Parts: sequence; structure tokens; C-alpha cells
Amino acid sequence: MGIRFKEVTHEYPSYSKTMYKAIQNITLDIPANGEFIALVGHTGSGKSTLAKHMNALIFPTSGSVEIFGNTITNKRNKAIKYNDLRKKVGLVFQFPEYQLFEETVEKDIMFGPLNFKVPQEEARLLASNSLSMVGLDVTYLKRNPFNLSGGEKKRVSIAGILALDPEILVLDEPTSGLDPAGKHTLMNLFKEIHDKTGKTVIIITHDMDLVYEYFNRVIVLKNGELSFDGTPESLFKSDVIETNHLDLPNTIKALKYLKSEYGLNIDIYKKTVEEAVLELNRVIRDE
Amino acid sequence: MNSIIIGQYIPGKGFLYRLDPRTKMLAIIFLMVSVFLLQNITQLLVAFGIGILILLFGRISLWKVIKGLKPIFVLLIFTFVFQIALNKSGTVVSDAVMHFNLYSVIIAVGAFILWRILVRLNRFKMLLFIAFLLGLYFILRYADFGNDFYSFHLTIYEKGIEMSVFVVVRLLIIITLTTILTLTTKPTDLTQGMESLMHPLKKIGFNSDEFALIISISLRYIPTIFDEAQKIMAAQASRGADFSEGKLKDKLKQIVSLLVPMFIIAFIRSEELADAMESRNFVPGQKRTRINVLNFSMVDVYTGLFTLACFAGAIVAKVVL
Repeated sequence: MGIRFKEVTHEYPSYSKTMYKAIQNITLDIPANGEFIALVGHTGSGKSTLAKHMNALIFPTSGSVEIFGNTITNKRNKAIKYNDLRKKVGLVFQFPEYQLFEETVEKDIMFGPLNFKVPQEEARLLASNSLSMVGLDVTYLKRNPFNLSGGEKKRVSIAGILALDPEILVLDEPTSGLDPAGKHTLMNLFKEIHDKTGKTVIIITHDMDLVYEYFNRVIVLKNGELSFDGTPESLFKSDVIETNHLDLPNTIKALKYLKSEYGLNIDIYKKTVEEAVLELNRVIRDE
Repeated sequence: MNSIIIGQYIPGKGFLYRLDPRTKMLAIIFLMVSVFLLQNITQLLVAFGIGILILLFGRISLWKVIKGLKPIFVLLIFTFVFQIALNKSGTVVSDAVMHFNLYSVIIAVGAFILWRILVRLNRFKMLLFIAFLLGLYFILRYADFGNDFYSFHLTIYEKGIEMSVFVVVRLLIIITLTTILTLTTKPTDLTQGMESLMHPLKKIGFNSDEFALIISISLRYIPTIFDEAQKIMAAQASRGADFSEGKLKDKLKQIVSLLVPMFIIAFIRSEELADAMESRNFVPGQKRTRINVLNFSMVDVYTGLFTLACFAGAIVAKVVL
């Protein structure tokens, strides 16, 4: 179970005669449990297109995507209930705050569950649960979503997807436009959901610090093709970073500079600032 | 949905592209009035010939114009059919009894299903539709097995045929003319031309600059808003709002979930645009210079003369003939 990409290619029509290949020949396996995946790559590398395939919002031009046993090809299959796949794989778009439309936060979060025929009372319960999951208290339930701050709106809209209780959660740049503290609160939230339920979470991000600190698997796309799939540790040790023009995490960058500048005998692969400082202290004591 | 081209301007060469938009607009208006002045089918066919000549002379492919006719194709068919069926003057051309009995209805339904299947496979949808209508006519006419549960006389008069051809050809010419305008003129040129043409109206308090600005901004934002709509639709679809299935009541709710965010985005966009314009020192009503200044050339003179000749010809035809 989970999501399985088999040689998936997706083409968009473009103004010139040739089709624009957003993703090409992607073969990927995403299990439903136990993974915390970062999807990275440059703007236009096909990350969002890949994400849209995961809940069958768009169909592959060639190849197939298997979502929880349902095989999606370029033809609409009447036997598959595409809408139900969207309950299994929850997709949160970039700038999700634009999807809010109801007059209270509670109603807006209930919109998803009610679409999937969840009874009113149960949907109400789901709404308050998922709202507390994203770190907002019950007083927010009766508030107007349009009077919230940007970060709060973002959380409410994420709660709207969490209320569906999806098996796999996919988020397209959920931390963009947030301050560092807000970023970490959200990342901790996703990590917590992952740790508590064991569900696979896929997050599109540009922030290598977050990738290094939180994730256990990284998928790198380059010009629509898969260029790396593995752990962040092996990613930052490999030359994929250079060939893809990706950034190193700040901790590695700083330690690497110290190492090359002063010839220190230092382990540069430290995830957090605290670990880096400990390592530096050790080196200072030794030297 | 991705391939909507607003204004359907297609870059190209030829004298129509070099024409000043003002000349083009005025010429089209005058030519349209001339077409409405014409009274019989011969004159109209001459006008149609002139229209085709303009297309050939301007090196515009007929195929593109025919493609542009697609949306109003149904309208053309309807006018044609109604004129033929309802116009009851002149001599009788054909008088046939239409039979509605068990067999003819079954065959008609069969023809309908065949048509729908062929439409899915084939590209020539217009031709198939015409073939279906003709087929329907012949089925109802010749399926005479007695015991009709309903039948009526379809009488076609000479005048009916003439009028239907007349109306359809007139519509065709008008639409071809407007297609020429939108096909060969950039939306920006169009608004600039409009602004310039409406300039004299300033004396009676109509602000043509602002009007043109409003039009060009709306045109500019149609694709953007369309893009946003698709994003919102995808986002709501991820929350289970399936816009293609479901009961009417659910659908209404789902349309609200699309409309409210769209309005909010439109307001945000317009505020941002206003700020951006102001920060570049845009002052409403202030005189502005332009990068591209409209200029008349010899082509415009020739076109003007040609248009006037057509107009005069039409008036002569109206008064004398």
C-alpha cells in the first residue's frame, strides 16, 4: 500500500508546439507508514506536479500511479472513485490560506469531512480536534477565518486537511512566508503527527536546515527527473548537492568553513546548532 | 480549459497587422453597417466574396477563421432551421409529411446514438451535426409504415430558403469581420485605439483614458484570475469538493467554496496592483506618454478609401436597386 509511481511522465501544453514535460520517467515508492519525506528541487523542477499526482488531481501523460491499490493512468477509470483517494492522501497546497471561505473557522474545517459524508456531530468533533492539533485553542472555532493573521490562517487551512484524517499527508511548502519560530512550530507539529500515528508525511521545502534536522528521506528533483532518493545524511555527503545547485544546511556550511580555514579535525555533519556547538567545544578542548 | 486564448490574437504578417487599430476599428464598423444595408442575396454574396478577398489579401488562413466560428455554429444552425421551417411566403418548394411512428422514432434514436459515438471518435463535429440533422429529416420523411401516432406537414417555401441563406450569410460576414479585428490586433493596441477614438467624448465628461485603462487591466487579469481559479479548485477538490459529481445542493455549496476565495483574491490583487501603480507614480487623469505612438500610414489611407467605396456601394445598392 501507499503510493507507487511507475515511469510517470506528465506534459503540459505550452504556447510553442512542443509539450512541456513537467516530470519525466519518475519511479518512486512511498509507503503509507513510517516515512518523513522532504521533496526538494529548484523552482520549476516539477515538485508541485509530482505532489498533484499523489491524490489524483492530475493524471500522468504516460506511466501509472498506484494510490492505495488504485492504478491511475492517463484515462479516467469509472471504477475508481477519485474523490475517495483525496481522503486517503491529504494534499495541502502552497498558500492554503486562500482556500478558506466559510464564516467561521469551525465550519471551514468541517467542509472537508462533510464532503466525505461524515455526520455533522462527528465532523464538529474532528474540527475541534484538528484545530488543537495545529496549536490553536477552542476559542478560535467561532472566529471569522478572514480576521486571522497569516500564520493562523495557514494553520486553520492545514487543520482543514487534517480533519480528513488522511493516511498520507502531503504539504506543498507549508513553511513559506513564516518566521523562523513559526516554521519550527509547524515542523514540530508535522513531526508530532508523524511520530504519534506513524503516518507518512511528505513536505515540499527549500529550507535545507529543516531537511537536515527533521527528515529521514529526501527526494531531489532536477528538471522533472529524479536525481536523488535517500537519507539527508547521504545527500549532504554526496556530490548531488553541487550538481543540483542546492544549498548546504547552515550548520554544515559553518563547520565546513572552520574546517577548511583552520584545518581543524572536526566532524562537520551536525544537525542542530546545539550539536555543532558541542562539537566545537570538543575540538577546542582537544586542540 | 488550459488552452483558452483570450482575444485570440495570433501574431502574423500582412497588411492587416500593419494597419493602425483606429483605422481597423472604424473600417470594420463601416463595413458592418454596409452589410446591413444590403437587401438581397446576390448583393450579400458579393459582399461575402469581398470578405473572403480581404482574408486572402491579408494572408489570414481561412481555417483559423472557421475555427473562430465554432462557438456560434449552433446559433447559425438554429437560425437556418427556424427560417426554413417558419417562413411561409413565396412559392412552395417541397411539401412533405413527417412521420412519427414506432419505427421512425427507434431509427431516429439509433441515429442520435450513432452521432454521439462518432462525435467522440471524430474531429469533424460540425459536419457530423449537419449530417445528423439531414439524416433525421430523411428518416422522419420516408419512414412511412402507417399507424403514425403523430405527423405534421413540413412545407418549405422559396422565400424561406432565401431568407435562411440570407440571414446565415449576413451573420457569417459580420462574424468574419470581427474575427479579423481580434485576430490581427493585440488587446493593448485595441484599447489604445479605443482610447484615441473616444478622446473627443472628453468634452461631454466621458473619461476615455480611464475607460481604456479599465479595459486593458481587465484583459490583462483574465488569465491570472483563471489560473487562480484552477488553483482554488484543486485545493477544494483536495477537501473532497468534486466539481464534476454530486447532487445539485452539494454542487451549489462547492461553487460557493470557489467563488468566495476568488472574490477575496480579486480584491487582494487589485489592491496590490493599485499600490504598485501608485509607487510608480501613476496619477489618475494625469497626461501620460506612450512607448508606442499610433501613426497613420499609406496602408491606412488605402484601407479608408476601400471602406468608403464599399460603404458608398452599399448605399447606392440600397437607394437605386
